[in-house]
Amino acid sequence: MSLQFVVDGLLTGSMIGLGAIGVTLTYSILRFSNFAHGDFMAWGTYATLAVVSAIGATFGKVAPIAPLSFGWPLLVALVVGMAFTALLALLLDKVLFSRLRAQGQAIIVVMASFGASMALRSLLEFSFTSRPTYFSRAIQIAMPVGFGIRITPDQIALLLLTALLVLGVHLLMTRTQIGRSMQALSQNAALARIVGIDVAGVVRVTWILGAALACVAGVMIGILVQIRPFMGFDMLLPMFAAAILGGIGSIPGAVLGGLIIGIAEAGAVQLIGAEWRAAVSFIILMAVLFVRPIGLFGVRER
Amino acid sequence: MSETVLDVRDLEAGYEPGVPIVRGASITVRKSEIVVVLGPNGAGKSSFIKAIAGLVPITRGTVLLDGKDITAAPAHTMVRLGLAFVPQTENIFPLMSVEDNLRVACGILERREAPARIEEMYAMFPDLARQRRAAAGNLSGGQRQMLAVARALIVHPKLLVLDEPSAGLSPKFVSMVFEMLAGIRKAGVTILLVEQNAKAALATGDRAYVLVEGKDSHEGVASELWNDPVVAELYLGQRPLSAEKTGHAEKGGAA
Repeated sequence: MSLQFVVDGLLTGSMIGLGAIGVTLTYSILRFSNFAHGDFMAWGTYATLAVVSAIGATFGKVAPIAPLSFGWPLLVALVVGMAFTALLALLLDKVLFSRLRAQGQAIIVVMASFGASMALRSLLEFSFTSRPTYFSRAIQIAMPVGFGIRITPDQIALLLLTALLVLGVHLLMTRTQIGRSMQALSQNAALARIVGIDVAGVVRVTWILGAALACVAGVMIGILVQIRPFMGFDMLLPMFAAAILGGIGSIPGAVLGGLIIGIAEAGAVQLIGAEWRAAVSFIILMAVLFVRPIGLFGVRER
Repeated sequence: MSETVLDVRDLEAGYEPGVPIVRGASITVRKSEIVVVLGPNGAGKSSFIKAIAGLVPITRGTVLLDGKDITAAPAHTMVRLGLAFVPQTENIFPLMSVEDNLRVACGILERREAPARIEEMYAMFPDLARQRRAAAGNLSGGQRQMLAVARALIVHPKLLVLDEPSAGLSPKFVSMVFEMLAGIRKAGVTILLVEQNAKAALATGDRAYVLVEGKDSHEGVASELWNDPVVAELYLGQRPLSAEKTGHAEKGGAA
């Protein structure tokens, strides 16, 4: 058995993990499972693609950065895409989720997010068709790095980007006042208000953070695999499995959960066949719920 | 007479419209006083101070803090307005460290001031200093209460409001909590608290109000109130009140 599955798994796991951060934040702070999170990914990716095309139309063809398949237009477009996705999440919260949250029934919000997910996905299919598309059709040569593992420059760059983002989010959550406020809100919303935390502001930051990371994960999928309206929806189960495996509310947990599921999926593809890929996250999810429902880094409420 | 810090006039409040729990209560708290609100179970004591702190909807009346109208200001703006509230239960963030519990409350302080202010709290509560890295959920009941009070004091409130600070504590901790409150008052902080434990509260407090069926029915100097037969009767609830005395028929409002 080749060790290639480790690299493949880490890459898939990075995308799952970045998405799972948003899922776990929404769940612990806003207290609902946001089924539209995958579609934030897809919308962010299409927004990024649109900006890349716009830059291409304005500046002509831009050469990619040395060994990578993409150049500065994609990096600029990614930042714009993240901002766009964050605005989309804020808008959706304002017109839909916040009103339903005020009524106080979590299940209604969950169902609404399911509806929003379908609507967002259909809008993408309507605007961009369901045909897959790509950021670049250039083929990268994978470099052998020993142990039978091959990796492309794009893959290395994206793994580094993931590591950087995860570290950044972790520091934000543990070292800054807004991070502490988010923790406080997830533990006791009433007390958070009493100590002077502006809940509406923290909720906005939560959406911005989750949506921006979803956009990055989507663009990673777009660079390494392909761009489709269903790309985010297909990530939903692995993302939820990762968030639950890591322990709801835990950022390091979500990322580690994502990596475990990514590697397990890649391993399963190699060992028992690609048709079992989707089953892996489901099996892991069920196993966690039976054996350790609070997840790896979860803590029982006291 | 020294200056008035809190002036509550004819407050009516409740969770549901048309079903007030607090039905026209008025109190005054003067600078550096400890004022206790007593009352039988279900008198609406807790709702009364929660309404003052912006946590229960107010339907009538006014709340003035240092002469400024804070009636029904959103709860999260209260610390900025100078009112710090300590809830009866779940008054700390259990999964955060002791230090982060204090830090998260420093939002309205200058960024530079926060670390020094946290150290001042540690100096005031050495028990907390020893456990600054521990998860707050691992503290003992008395230490949790200290942390909750330290968290409230950290923002230099004009008024500290506490909901039954001795509830659920063993007698040893009860006296510790009241000694702590006396010490805080000595440092110049004005305190308003609601208590079930009338004896301990009256021993520490300067003045007290007795709340019955959502209205203030008696007011007096704390040490004298304890010996007032009417109050003893009201508070201990041994005989039902006559309707004329309180102006309300027996309805048995919820706390």
